Amino acid sequence: MLTELLQGADAGGFVIIQDSIRCSGRHLLKSFINAALHREEAVHVLGFEVDEEELKDGVKGSAIDRVHFHNAYTDPLGWTDHPAFTVHQFCLEELTHLVKQSSHSRPATLVIDSLSWILRHRSPTAVCKTLHQLRKGGAVRAIIALLHADMHQKGTEGSVCHLATSVITIAPGMNGDQAVAKITKRSKSGKVMQDEEIFNINEDFTVIVQSKLGPKNTPTEEKEVDPTANLTFNLRLSDTERKAKEKLALPFVFSKEKKTALLHSGPGSGRILYEPDSNDDYDQEDPDDDLDV
Amino acid sequence: MFTELNSILNASPDTITQGEFILISDRKSDASFLIHHFLTFYLKGCQLITGQRKRSAGLPGGTERVAVCFESSRNQHRESSGPRRRSHGLPQRSCRRPEEPLRVRSVQFEQFQGSDGAEEWGPPVLLVDDLSVLLSLGVSVGAVLDFSHYCRVTVCSQLKGNVAMLARCDGEEEEDDGDDEGSERLLKGLTHQCSLTLHVQGLPTGYCRDIHGQVEVCWRRRRQCEGKYTQKKLFQYKVHDKGASFFAPGTSSAVL
Repeated sequence: MLTELLQGADAGGFVIIQDSIRCSGRHLLKSFINAALHREEAVHVLGFEVDEEELKDGVKGSAIDRVHFHNAYTDPLGWTDHPAFTVHQFCLEELTHLVKQSSHSRPATLVIDSLSWILRHRSPTAVCKTLHQLRKGGAVRAIIALLHADMHQKGTEGSVCHLATSVITIAPGMNGDQAVAKITKRSKSGKVMQDEEIFNINEDFTVIVQSKLGPKNTPTEEKEVDPTANLTFNLRLSDTERKAKEKLALPFVFSKEKKTALLHSGPGSGRILYEPDSNDDYDQEDPDDDLDV
Repeated sequence: MFTELNSILNASPDTITQGEFILISDRKSDASFLIHHFLTFYLKGCQLITGQRKRSAGLPGGTERVAVCFESSRNQHRESSGPRRRSHGLPQRSCRRPEEPLRVRSVQFEQFQGSDGAEEWGPPVLLVDDLSVLLSLGVSVGAVLDFSHYCRVTVCSQLKGNVAMLARCDGEEEEDDGDDEGSERLLKGLTHQCSLTLHVQGLPTGYCRDIHGQVEVCWRRRRQCEGKYTQKKLFQYKVHDKGASFFAPGTSSAVL
């Protein structure tokens, strides 16, 4: 599923890459940028958290001309006299104007690094509204955003992720080279698909999916280990011992033989002689006669 | 300066990596000995700017390359020190916007660049000890994170220097808590910004006379050519009178 998302088959898609302090999602974001460049698309990057040099590190060749980095890193809050791009410019009109400045005829892919920076300074309502308008407006083909899940309250994170067509949550893998991606994808029909994959990223930002951990895969059953093997004492039974064990009547089980012995007392056992007097309501019939004992 | 820590970080005063943002943090412990390490480390090759809440009487000799300043929007301090030190105080900003007490201007950092013209100094280094004090002064977490971002932009990206900041955390580590305590959220925000973290905490098994705690070193946001993009290592340490020793868990001299 991760490979399909990287191929970017769906137009109008909104992909959120959720990371945390345990595992950064910026390398996967760069993989998405590289995949868009391979599709000959223009990529517009709103860079709040890293500078242009670090973001373009690894992008080689002529594709680098199609990366339009909008510098929101140097002065995102407008503290200087001439800020390039500020967080307050994150609205439909400004972004549409920004994207249309490039000379490409095809709609571009918008990359946001990161959405957490914007959510710290703008209300979640305004951010969600802008993202929704961007998706429907047609100025951008797809939106890919990085979100630091551990920096926001669950409500804010949930609201933004609800707008997304796909959410990829990154977690550290077993070793430093691998990471685990939990993917939730919503199709246009409303169907929700989930998957979990282990992947690693090469130096050229291509993603290699190592294995899938989704619910379809059942864990292989381990061969049962005999607990009575390799002991210094014997826990096993021979055939005669097993037969004697099976014949043994347990003391508190009410078996058929015990019931017969109780109901039909043998010779020499005690008898109860009962002579009712005038006040007794003695009924000859056995009150337990209807019981199936 | 701790030579063992230099070998762990693969760093040397002669070949300082530029543009690094180092976060030093501690949880129920004291990581100020690491600030001392970086102070000494950078003294050898860089022009040093320190923002400290304590008076800098403890600076080692030969500190003619140190410019000491106290950054505050409310009070202006001037450090009058010995003849071998230069001191600068940041000019008090006019508080046109009281909600932005930590507004950083790059021109203030440029004042420290070769102002005497006598010698060329190396790239600047900003040390902050400690950032959590700002939270106790009533500054919001968002404002502190904005401040650290602009410090990184100015010192690391524009002036090609380095930044090292200390942040303290008193509570237990809480995961998936939407209503984080300020220090926890500050720590997470700084971790996302930095390229190297050194997190100091006590031993999970409790107090030990020969091992004073453990340090988790995490390299983040490395260049792609360097291979693994996230690398973590755990070390234990013991602080002596004149330094500190670092060793892998279970290899303390008291055990071996």
